[in-house]
Amino acid sequence: MNIVWTVVTAAALIALTVVDAQSVLTVCMNSCSQAVNAALGLCGVYCLWLGIFEVANRCKLVEKLSGCFRRLNKFLYGNISEVAQRYISLNLASNLLGVGNAATPSAIAAIRETEHTDKLSRSGAMLFVVNATSVQLIPSTVMGLRAQLGSASPSDILLPNLIATAVTSVVGAALVFCAYGRAK
Amino acid sequence: MNYVVPALLIAVLVAGLIKRVNVYDSFVLGARKSFDLSLTVFPYLAAIFVMVNALHASGLDAYVTKLLAPPFRLLGIPDEVVQLVLLRPFSGSGSLAILTDVYNNYGVDSYVGRCASVIMGSSETVFYVASVYFAGTKVRHTGWAIPIALFCNLLGAVVACLLCRIM
Repeated sequence: MNIVWTVVTAAALIALTVVDAQSVLTVCMNSCSQAVNAALGLCGVYCLWLGIFEVANRCKLVEKLSGCFRRLNKFLYGNISEVAQRYISLNLASNLLGVGNAATPSAIAAIRETEHTDKLSRSGAMLFVVNATSVQLIPSTVMGLRAQLGSASPSDILLPNLIATAVTSVVGAALVFCAYGRAK
Repeated sequence: MNYVVPALLIAVLVAGLIKRVNVYDSFVLGARKSFDLSLTVFPYLAAIFVMVNALHASGLDAYVTKLLAPPFRLLGIPDEVVQLVLLRPFSGSGSLAILTDVYNNYGVDSYVGRCASVIMGSSETVFYVASVYFAGTKVRHTGWAIPIALFCNLLGAVVACLLCRIM
C-alpha cells in the first residue's frame, strides 16, 4: 500500500504540476474535504447498521446466522473465534442480500477480531478477497442506474453478473488456498 | 428488491420485542461505536481521495487508459470500458461516473453498456476496501491479498465481456 500510494500519487502530482501547477493545491484540498464528507456519511451508515447489529446480537439472531454458515466458515477460514465467526456471517449475509453498506462495518469488526500482528493472516486475506470479489446476488446500484437511464430491461444483466461474481469469488478463494494453504 | 432493507429492519425490531430485549438501549450502544470507526477510517480515505483526484485531474488516467487499450482488447475487453476497469479498484464514485458516461454515450442496452454494467456489478474498489478494512488494525503487510483481489477484478471484467457477447 505504501509503495503503490507514494509512487502513483507522486507521478500524478508531477504530471498535474506540468499540466496545471495552480490546480495542485485545489485538487488536494478538495480531496481532503471530500474525505471529511465521506467519513461523515459513513458514520451515519455505520451508526444505523451497528445499532441494528447490536439489537440482532442481543436477540441471539446473529448466533443462529453464524450456525447456518458454520461449515462454510470452517472450510474457508479455519479455526477462528466465535465472535469473528459471527461478524463474518453477518458480512456474508449482508453481501448476499446486496446491502453493501452493512457489509463494511461487519467486515471491519471481523478483521479486528482476527488480526493481531502486522502481517495479514490467512483468514484476514480470505475475508478481504471474498469481499473484494463482491459476492452479491443482486447488483442493486447498477440496476437502479440502468432503470433510471431508460433501459428496456434493467435486470438483463442479472444472470451474467451472477456468473461473473461466482467465477471471481471461487477463483479468489482458490487462489487464497494456493497462496496460504488449507485452513488450519 | 425495495423491500429487503425494510423487512430486515422490521424483523430485527420485532425479534427484539419477542425476546424481550431492551431494543432502544442496544441500538444506542451499537450506534455509539460508529463515530470511532469513521474517525479511524477518515485519514485513509483522505489519502485515497488525494491519489485518485490527482490522477484524474492530471489526465494521467486517460493516458494510461490509451496505453493499455490494445492489451485489454486482446483479452476481449472493448476500448470503451477500459477506463472503467482501470479506475474501478480505486474509486467507487469515480467508476460510477464513468459508468454513467458509458450509458449516455453508447446506450444502456448496447453491448458496451451491458459489459460496463456487469463489470461494475462484479468488481470491487479493491484499494478503497483495503484502506478501510485494515484501518483500525496493526496490519502493514497485506501479502497476497491485494494482488489476488486485483487479478479477480480483471478476470471478472474478461468474463463479463465474454458473457455479454454470448448472452
